[in-house]
Amino acid sequence: MFARNPSAIAGMLMLSVVLLVTLAGPWLMGADPFEIIAAPMTPPFSDEAMLGTDYLGRDVLTTLVYGGRATLLVGAVAALLSVSIGITLGALAGYYGGRVDAVLMRVTEFFQVLPALLFAMVVVTLFSPTLLTITLAIGIVSWTGTARLTRAEFMKYRNLEFVRAERAIGASHARILWRVILPNALPPLIVSATLAIGSAILFEAGLSFLGLGDQNRMSWGLMIGASRQYVLSCWWAVAFPGAAIFVTVLAVSLIGDGLNDALNPKLRER
Amino acid sequence: MNLLNFSRRNALALALLAGLPAVHSLAATDTPTRGGTLVLGSTQALRHVNGAVQSGIATAVPSTQIFASPLRFDDKWNAQPYLAEKWSLAADGKSLTLNLRKGAVFHDGKPITSEDVAFSIMAIKANHPFTTMMGPVEKVETPDPYTAIIRMSAPHPAIVLAMSPALCPILPKHIYGDGTDLKVHPRNSTDVVGSGPFRLTEFKAGQRLVLERFDKFFLAGKPYLDKIIVNINPDSNSLLLGLERGEIQMIPYATNSTELKRVAANPALNLTNKGFDGIGAINWLAFNTAKKPLNDVNVRKAIAMTIDKKFISKALHGGFSQPADGPIVAGSPFAIPDLITYPLDLKKAAEMLDAAGYKAGADGERFKLTIDYLPGQDEQQKNVAEYIRAQLKKVGVMVDVRASADFPAWAKRMATHDFDLSMDVVFNWGDPIIGVHRTYLSTNIRPIVWTNTQSYNNPKVDELLNTAGGLLDPTKRKAYYATFQKIVTDELPIHFINNTPYHTASSKKVMNVPTTVWGPASPYDEVYLK
Amino acid sequence: MLKLVASRLVQGLALVLAVVVLNFVLVHAAPGDPVETIAGASGGMDEKLQAELRAQYGLDRPLPVQLGIYLGKVARGDLGYSYFFNLPVSSLIGERVPATLALVLTSVLAAFLTGTTLGVLSSRRPNGALSQTINVLSLVGFSAPVFWLGMLLVILLASVFPVFPVSGMRNIASDGRGVADVIDVLYHLVLPAFTLGLVYLAQYSRLSRAAMLDVLGADYIRTARAKGLSERRVFYKHALRNAVLPVVTILGLQFGNVLAGAIVVETVFNWPGLGRLAYESVLRRDYPTILGVLLFSSVVVIVMNQLTDLCYRLIDPRIKTT
Repeated sequence: MFARNPSAIAGMLMLSVVLLVTLAGPWLMGADPFEIIAAPMTPPFSDEAMLGTDYLGRDVLTTLVYGGRATLLVGAVAALLSVSIGITLGALAGYYGGRVDAVLMRVTEFFQVLPALLFAMVVVTLFSPTLLTITLAIGIVSWTGTARLTRAEFMKYRNLEFVRAERAIGASHARILWRVILPNALPPLIVSATLAIGSAILFEAGLSFLGLGDQNRMSWGLMIGASRQYVLSCWWAVAFPGAAIFVTVLAVSLIGDGLNDALNPKLRER
Repeated sequence: MNLLNFSRRNALALALLAGLPAVHSLAATDTPTRGGTLVLGSTQALRHVNGAVQSGIATAVPSTQIFASPLRFDDKWNAQPYLAEKWSLAADGKSLTLNLRKGAVFHDGKPITSEDVAFSIMAIKANHPFTTMMGPVEKVETPDPYTAIIRMSAPHPAIVLAMSPALCPILPKHIYGDGTDLKVHPRNSTDVVGSGPFRLTEFKAGQRLVLERFDKFFLAGKPYLDKIIVNINPDSNSLLLGLERGEIQMIPYATNSTELKRVAANPALNLTNKGFDGIGAINWLAFNTAKKPLNDVNVRKAIAMTIDKKFISKALHGGFSQPADGPIVAGSPFAIPDLITYPLDLKKAAEMLDAAGYKAGADGERFKLTIDYLPGQDEQQKNVAEYIRAQLKKVGVMVDVRASADFPAWAKRMATHDFDLSMDVVFNWGDPIIGVHRTYLSTNIRPIVWTNTQSYNNPKVDELLNTAGGLLDPTKRKAYYATFQKIVTDELPIHFINNTPYHTASSKKVMNVPTTVWGPASPYDEVYLK
Repeated sequence: MLKLVASRLVQGLALVLAVVVLNFVLVHAAPGDPVETIAGASGGMDEKLQAELRAQYGLDRPLPVQLGIYLGKVARGDLGYSYFFNLPVSSLIGERVPATLALVLTSVLAAFLTGTTLGVLSSRRPNGALSQTINVLSLVGFSAPVFWLGMLLVILLASVFPVFPVSGMRNIASDGRGVADVIDVLYHLVLPAFTLGLVYLAQYSRLSRAAMLDVLGADYIRTARAKGLSERRVFYKHALRNAVLPVVTILGLQFGNVLAGAIVVETVFNWPGLGRLAYESVLRRDYPTILGVLLFSSVVVIVMNQLTDLCYRLIDPRIKTT
């Protein structure tokens, strides 16, 4: 089903290209993205720099190749963090119900009400912007959607026959939660996780754009934020890194979409 | 410096000239047209318009329109009459007498008297961030409504300069003298009653200010402009676009080289770098001399030799900045030409580091350092920091560029001396007493930003500065400052990089763009639109 | 019913309190304080003066005391004074709310209408070319970083082809009155609203498509078809009405994200709204303003959540929520 979805295939191809460039690129290039290689703001397609240089004279192409690492790392880890928190809290709420559910739902509501970007800004400013603090900040504010989804799924499953059967034979709650229900509830959660990666990448880009990125690691969002002041004279330093983010997030979203279609039984019937 | 001599020798001539419109400008023979709105672009949000309790150029621009001061200055550091028709500094330098013009009124119609001058000066002394400015002032006597005598405990040569519009706004005592702490007075941005050529009619915090002509301004016929609008936009690119499209007519304090290039190439726009000697802004690299290995002057000199100032000015600043070699800005009367410099020499730098005992290890690394920079001015600060990192790598010094998310984070680091190297920009503010002494006096090593955060301690320098600060004769002062500059450039607590390339970009329609020593931080009563 | 509203109100208040307390603690824990910002804006400040200012702002008191004082003020509706501007926080917020409201309302509404239309259309033939195209296009809208799109739009439509203004909400020299002003604002609103709306557009089109597909498989639709009603009637009269519900729910909850999307767009376009105020206040450590804005937006989110919930229950009495 997934294999027959053209946009999902496209997504996988794009993501592969991005991963290849990001992982193998630096090793092949052996350059320093912070190094000044030519005159500042050389336009693209010139002899010195394929994609031009930025306001300092740094190579935009090198930035693209090296910047992917930080961006993808933050995106993946932050998504992992938010999904983990979300699944854990959602599962507990949905399975146990009652007071546990009520308390956890209050907590979820609290984090949902907090303006995510503002809160992340405050956290990052507090602990000074490094890859670690940014990842944590993003992870902490992004889990509510996954939590709600997980809770709904677990509520659905807890009263089903086979689950009650497990209880009857004396299986522990932990076993039921993680070994019995979770594998069944996984499909929509996987989709949610894929989309979480996309949002985390966008979130990191946004923070970097606002000047709160890790200044010591080249990331795509950082390049855009730094070059923002010069966009009218040096649009390539903004356009290309932004395109890189766009392609990556699009790829991830297409894959998530494909997974959704593949795993969603309702659509399968049509 | 002519302040003193001018006032003592030419006081009479001045009194004669006092009734006439300002002596110093109106270069063109055109008659100024009355009317029109001047739109200014600024990237910095300002807190309020009361320059008596808030310094900084963002506040100075509107404050100098709204409030008048006893004196104003031309482009040669000569004091000119403003609210004071004449003035005289006593021979012993311990009192300055101001003779105020008669008939000047505040925006609410009440007369401006010596009481207001006395009140304002004491308020500035109590609240203004620059304590050295009015430091020795003890009291202000007011023998009659139009005479104010400033009494000082010691000779204070900076006092005449301290009467500038940017530093000594005259506030109405009947409004501000109500006992409320002036730093948080409600009338600092709402219902402001001032003494200057323009009234504040709108203050949208962080967005814009509107100033309108005060019809009863004491210089007859002025100001020429009907209105001034200060438009605040943190994005200097947009301001430039606005200037190119004619929506904005003037951008003071522009520094971005790309933007300056565009303005210079535009036939409808003017660009000038005159008018910034007063604030005297220098970008520099500060060393924390209390930390190893920076406590060794040879290490500092070696680092200095890896930096090519010409490259920075030409390549990083598009040729718009000039290298700076000393603590006093080149346009100041106290600047001297022959200072100790450190031309680029990577080989010598490596040798010096070897000799200092910091040989390179197997991986080519000698030691690690961190470099901070003042956030928000990338071209002058961050870019240079990154350039320095690349250069120091070539001699085996590994540098980590530490970004501070915002100003308070950086200020905290500097204040607590939690830094190795830091880029910084510091203003001279005209007289060295106001803006230069604070960086080098060993008595000023304090946990506050923009003091002697370098922990520099040289008793000889302390003596030179303190002496020069109490002498009235400019020639004698200059001699002391000359020795001071030579010592500081030899001991290198700070390596000076370049003068901040402030420029005023304006539409060719704007005439009499302010280019006195205080430049845009002066009254625009003579500015008009063609 | 009344009991429900009352209990929800109490819950809402407790939530707001929690938000305020947490943010208060966090904001005060950040390195540097507002006095340092003010010192910075002044080009330096003496120790004594800094201490005076700190005392003036109550920053020298222990944190719990400061918190208590703040909460007491908030309870009386006093959001305090901005450290940076020395103006009441409530008036600063009040000045900026209309701008953000105009931006968000326009973009969300436009996105909702366009997105839902596209989504519904694409659900008619779920595997057709149109549907796939709309699907991919909406993904494009969702994947492109908002600020990147905004900047490219500015370059294209405000610099290269100067069709729209580069930034701001109004013409710089305008007085801000009358019909001419409304037109001026609308003109300035186009690019920012479009940029912000694109993200929401993607969400609504996908959501409405999914909701329609969901509903179209339901029993009552099959009954309607069996009854012989035209496909058109079935589609628009029965399915659409029911599919709109989850979309409306999201619309209500979406308003809760007012601030996040707005911050970035307002920064790119220098739009004088709450988002920019919040962002600049964080950089200036202007605690009262930061807290005021956080409080305000939390209240808005909570109110919207409750309203949505109530509407949902009124519309569909079958729903039972905890």
